[in-house]
Amino acid sequence: MQTPVLPDTMAAVAAVDLTKVYGHGDTAVRALDGVTVGFARAQFTAIMGPSGSGKSTLMHCLAGLDTATSGQALLGGTDLTKQSDKVLTKVRRERIGFVFQAFNLLPQLTAAQNITLPLELAGRKPDRHLYTHLTETLGITGRLDHRPGELSGGQQQRVALARALVSRPEVVFADEPTGNLDSRSGAEVLLFLRNSVRELGQTIVMVTHDPGAAAYADRVVLLADGRVAGEIDRPDTASVTDALQGLAAAR
Amino acid sequence: MSVLRTQMRGVARRPTRLLLTGLAVLVVSFVVYASVLAQQITERSVLNGLSGTPEAVDLVVRNGDISTKTAAAIGQVPGVAEAVARIDAGGMVGTDDYLQLQSDPGSGPLALATVTQGRYPQKAGEIAVTPRTAERMSLALGQTVSVQLRYSEDGKPLPPTRVTVVGLVKARDDYGFQAYAPTSAVIAMTGVGQASRVELRYAPGAEGVQDRVTAIAKGAEVATGADVRLEEAEAKASGVNAVFAVIAMFVAIAVVAAGLVATSTFRIMFAQRMRQLALLRAVGAGRGSITRSLAAEGALTGLVTGLAGVLIALGLGHLLPVVTGWFGFKISSPGFPVPAALGTVALAVLITVLAVLAPAASAARVSPLEALRSSGTTGSRRDIGALRWVTGLVLAAGAGLAAAYVINGLPGRDPKDYDPTPMLFAVVGSGALAFFALVALGPVLVRPVLALLGAPIRRSGPVGRLAAGGVGAAPRRAAAVSVVVALGVTLIAGALVGGASIRVLAEREAAASAPADYEVTGEDLASMPVALVDKLRDRRELTHVTPYRRITTKIGNVEGLTAVDLTMGSLPELDKLDVTAGSVKDLKPGSAVISGFTAETTGLGVGDKITLVAGKRSGTFTIAARLPDSGPLGSAVVLDPGDLTKLGAPATYSGVLADAAESGEKGRTDGKRAIDESVAGAGFHTDVLADQRDQIDEQLTLLLVIALGLIGLTVAIAVVGVGTTTALSVVERVRESGVLRAVGLSQGGLRAMLTAESALYGVIGAAIGLVLGVPYALLAVKALGVNAPLAVPVGQLAVVFVVLIALTALAGVLPARKAAKVSPVAALGTE
Repeated sequence: MQTPVLPDTMAAVAAVDLTKVYGHGDTAVRALDGVTVGFARAQFTAIMGPSGSGKSTLMHCLAGLDTATSGQALLGGTDLTKQSDKVLTKVRRERIGFVFQAFNLLPQLTAAQNITLPLELAGRKPDRHLYTHLTETLGITGRLDHRPGELSGGQQQRVALARALVSRPEVVFADEPTGNLDSRSGAEVLLFLRNSVRELGQTIVMVTHDPGAAAYADRVVLLADGRVAGEIDRPDTASVTDALQGLAAAR
Repeated sequence: MSVLRTQMRGVARRPTRLLLTGLAVLVVSFVVYASVLAQQITERSVLNGLSGTPEAVDLVVRNGDISTKTAAAIGQVPGVAEAVARIDAGGMVGTDDYLQLQSDPGSGPLALATVTQGRYPQKAGEIAVTPRTAERMSLALGQTVSVQLRYSEDGKPLPPTRVTVVGLVKARDDYGFQAYAPTSAVIAMTGVGQASRVELRYAPGAEGVQDRVTAIAKGAEVATGADVRLEEAEAKASGVNAVFAVIAMFVAIAVVAAGLVATSTFRIMFAQRMRQLALLRAVGAGRGSITRSLAAEGALTGLVTGLAGVLIALGLGHLLPVVTGWFGFKISSPGFPVPAALGTVALAVLITVLAVLAPAASAARVSPLEALRSSGTTGSRRDIGALRWVTGLVLAAGAGLAAAYVINGLPGRDPKDYDPTPMLFAVVGSGALAFFALVALGPVLVRPVLALLGAPIRRSGPVGRLAAGGVGAAPRRAAAVSVVVALGVTLIAGALVGGASIRVLAEREAAASAPADYEVTGEDLASMPVALVDKLRDRRELTHVTPYRRITTKIGNVEGLTAVDLTMGSLPELDKLDVTAGSVKDLKPGSAVISGFTAETTGLGVGDKITLVAGKRSGTFTIAARLPDSGPLGSAVVLDPGDLTKLGAPATYSGVLADAAESGEKGRTDGKRAIDESVAGAGFHTDVLADQRDQIDEQLTLLLVIALGLIGLTVAIAVVGVGTTTALSVVERVRESGVLRAVGLSQGGLRAMLTAESALYGVIGAAIGLVLGVPYALLAVKALGVNAPLAVPVGQLAVVFVVLIALTALAGVLPARKAAKVSPVAALGTE
């Protein structure tokens, strides 16, 4: 086990002594308990930990979806914990991309409209070159005029990936992106994520509890009881499984 | 039973949801019970203490020839304790005031008047008056006035009667001109030999009196006092009841609207619970028990909301007399009509149960597999089933056939013996069929209408496109709520178009009878010198000063027809005249414009020759135009001035018409003053015809406002429906809201999107309503057979369109605000 490192200033996104408490008094739950961690640019990081370890909360705070009780959530140089909802909205649509477990495409829009939605909300034109590159790489060119209801789970998640990346966000947050997919579709999604780090220099932070998925990442940050419990560089399935078992044994 | 318990637990956990579901039912229960209470208040306020015949009256002799002698004889019939002959007389006091003199005993059980001051009159020359009469006519106790009570056989006034006020009485009627005296005194003062009725009271234990009285009172009707009192009460109530019958019709439409809204809300509610229901099915609940439990929930919703509506109405109904009491108006309390309250609640339960049946049955058909589906969006159907297609098309065909029947049977220009009633029923029937066809086919219509009308909002940006997409994604839901909006708009559009058409008709008629703002005529048909007309022409305040002459002529065998030489082009108001055939512009020397009556009696038409005889002269003219009704100023024929002169018309004028130079109240007052100054001192009479026109206009407007107010009930239900639908949709789509917020839609953007969706329901509904309402109104106006022109008040309709959209948008504001406040994380976390 390594001790947590201070985030280097070049990190794309970082948490500094981030604390999040739900509820009050006796029923209060410390979902995050002074987390300090950095996520480097053009790196694919997986956040892992048992259920209730605070990994989803950490991601939500870093993505400006949720407010923190104390500490800082830094995106670039911006502390998201200090921003108004208006600024956070702008941050989300211009600097962050999301991929969800449940895909969360809008049922009333076509695949193509879903992909360009964040850009349109920002009043920007999509980069045609990138759009074509993404849809071709993801193999959804032929499905762009379909609505989500007419797509398979794997196809829906690939549309969601295109939506997350087409605005060239500083960070893409992926929350259990393979949780609802069969293993083949899941592998395709993970490969795509890894390739976009390599080829497009994308920064990706993924929350998962699947050691197999985490093995695609460059680095794994382990969380337990709202604290950073270690990290693994260049992980593989075995090392991640071992580390998780170690965490479970320590409790 | 356990299924029912599970459902009821769900209801108990979220009682506000129940109220939200039944909000439309609550509103309509309130409206229904409030109208019942309003009727109660009105009846009680109007009828209280207004039974015309005293309680003690046992028998009434009326409606016939009752001489004062007969009346006296009736009083002598064995078994009659007391008889009062009611005589109604009266006369002028001075030149302005009329005094009504009624006969009354002044004391005893049959008396209508009781003395409050002084004493009751005993002999001729004495009267008692009511307090208001004393005040209005400034009559004091002991004062003597002259009343013109007697007339000679041939109708010449005889010397007035001098009467002294000896008492003040409190009486049934007090309109400010009532005097009372005993029967004998009234007969003595007026010389009247007829009584309007005789009221009598039986002696205790008397029998067979009615037969004996009937024998004496030949030629008059004998009725029991109880019957007469009931009749009088009913006559008074009937006016009130007629009004409430009309209100009831509109309330009934609102009830239908509420039923439709409730159906739609239940459908949404059950769609949201699809997974839960599927789970129940998966663990072994039968379809029947699910349907029953959902129906029971509907009945409970109806019970609770119906009760709430009734209680709110009851509360307000009892508050109203208290509040008006503070401002000095006394109205009766509505009481607590229990049967009506129970009926209203029963109606609410009935509506909701009817509304819940179809949604409950289709919800129970859910496949247990649905429970295992992961996606939060339960697939909403965009199409409609074959049965619904067929039903809708059959209804539409029925509507078309009924409309075709009406179009075929439309009356011509001058219908004879045309009965509009069956045609109007056909129009209403066709409209009702068309509406239910719309209910059936709505879901397939929504998307085309949305594609057409949603274009501007879709082009307005991503938020607009999301809103249009959101509505289009659930066309059944959009149709269900838009159809109710359409119902309201159809009724409004119909009322406005009908009102506008009738108004043009009224204007045409006014143009014939009152073609200018003012008419100046000589008193007692004195003629007007030319110099006076020139004087009027010089006034700046007046314009279109048009003198005319009028002579009496004979056409064929008909005498006494008037011919005028009004210059048709000189008054703008005359442009509104409706012409059956020909053109009034063609009126020139040698030609004539004839009225409809003239055309009918002579059988002549445009192009024919008509011969007018005036005294020894005569002339023959070619008919240039035929008017539908009477000619301007009630004339039979309009001729060129030269022709009228040839027929022997004098050089002086019969009257002058003129318009005010300036519009508005001030212009009219100035014009009137100008005329008064010009004709000062001479014996001329000025009529402000514009005031007559305005009066007709005001009455039409009042009627229209009342109609719109009643239609407002349906519109209110529709708006409630839109609000409920949006509120429930928002709950259902909280996850979608979360996604939108996560990918960067601002709170304001989300609010705007949901409000726009709500407004789009209004757009669709209002558009369909206008498309349906305007043609039907035009058809109804045509079917009336009154030759009304077709007028479409585009401006007013546009206002209705905009207001409706604003209202529906407003209905969505609250749910939208609530949805936008939910944090994206919470939204994403919900299943």
